[in-house]
Amino acid sequence: MDTNTVLTQAKLRFAHESAKAYLKDKFQSKLLVAEQGGLWKASPQMISILTTFQKQTVAVFIDEFDNPVKVEVQALKDKLLDTYNSVMEEYHTEWKELENQR
Amino acid sequence: MKKRGVVMFAHNNSKRNYYRMALAAAKRVKHFLNLPVTLITGPVTLYKAPELDVFDEIIIDDPDYSNKRDGAEWINKNRFNVWRLTPYYETLLLDVDYVVNSDKLLKLFDIFDDYMFHDSTSFIMDPNAPQEYLSTKSFQSLWATVLIFKKNKNSRHLFQCMEMIQDNFNHYADIHGFIGGMYRNDYSLTLASRIVNGHILPSKNIIPWNLLHVGKNTKISHYKNNEDDIIDKNTNTKFMVEYDNWQRRKIKKEYIFIKDTDFHMLNKDNFDGLFVV
Repeated sequence: MDTNTVLTQAKLRFAHESAKAYLKDKFQSKLLVAEQGGLWKASPQMISILTTFQKQTVAVFIDEFDNPVKVEVQALKDKLLDTYNSVMEEYHTEWKELENQR
Repeated sequence: MKKRGVVMFAHNNSKRNYYRMALAAAKRVKHFLNLPVTLITGPVTLYKAPELDVFDEIIIDDPDYSNKRDGAEWINKNRFNVWRLTPYYETLLLDVDYVVNSDKLLKLFDIFDDYMFHDSTSFIMDPNAPQEYLSTKSFQSLWATVLIFKKNKNSRHLFQCMEMIQDNFNHYADIHGFIGGMYRNDYSLTLASRIVNGHILPSKNIIPWNLLHVGKNTKISHYKNNEDDIIDKNTNTKFMVEYDNWQRRKIKKEYIFIKDTDFHMLNKDNFDGLFVV
């Protein structure tokens, strides 16, 4: 028996909140990037901070392990921006898939 | 010494074939992580064991039968021997009921220092489930389900300390107010990691994402698009998760789908049904 038939027959309810929490958990971890000797989260906040430091070649930031790490600002910003965009695209696609399966 | 690989412990008991679970887990590790897998086991477990060639190495370590759970011997002691026995400089120690379903664990090799483990969990169908504590007056439990370490002096101290706690488990149970008797590696790790770090828990030792549990009241099945679909149980990444949600004395049957996500299955019968049989 395929999964959709099981669903129809068993009167199961899609657990919206659980699905939402699961996806958030899954993609939060994908936003983590090990780069230039530190661990970074590709969050809009971190990307914004890096953007404000763009006039500097290097700067020191506190990473996810609470260590100060000296980084090349532009290279880190590019890496985090790439990661953010690709992970969030994937997140959005999976979210849409789940929504359609309700 | 080889650079990196995965190590698993498996000792069968009268109720469960842990070797077969390790076999299923090892196939997934090889598919998704492309790492060599070493099994640490005992001679009784190896007797007539199939597909030994799935493991790159098999190391014999005599089991300790002194621990009991659910009316059967639970051979989980002496996990600290992994430091001495591992053939790898960087070892990823996995429980056999941890289902690798992505390459996520490879990221650990880029970010860990001496050793790393989970300090927090989430339950797949119960997002608000509380964290586990050793007791109301003790620490939040760490998890030995996924433990990565370099073979160095600092990790040796950690495992030596776990050995000391195992040897004096009831004493630590008295101090921390949890029920002794049944030894748990999670609790031993929780206490040892603090002792060897001056009674603090450094953030660099914590895996920066949650360990995803699939609870005992949750059922997982392979997702099938069509009835005739043939699922490869060693590589399938999409699953349906069902859960009996008790609300006001009534069960509401709920489901979600998951894919490309690693998880830790607490329901061993479900694990067997999915990956072993």
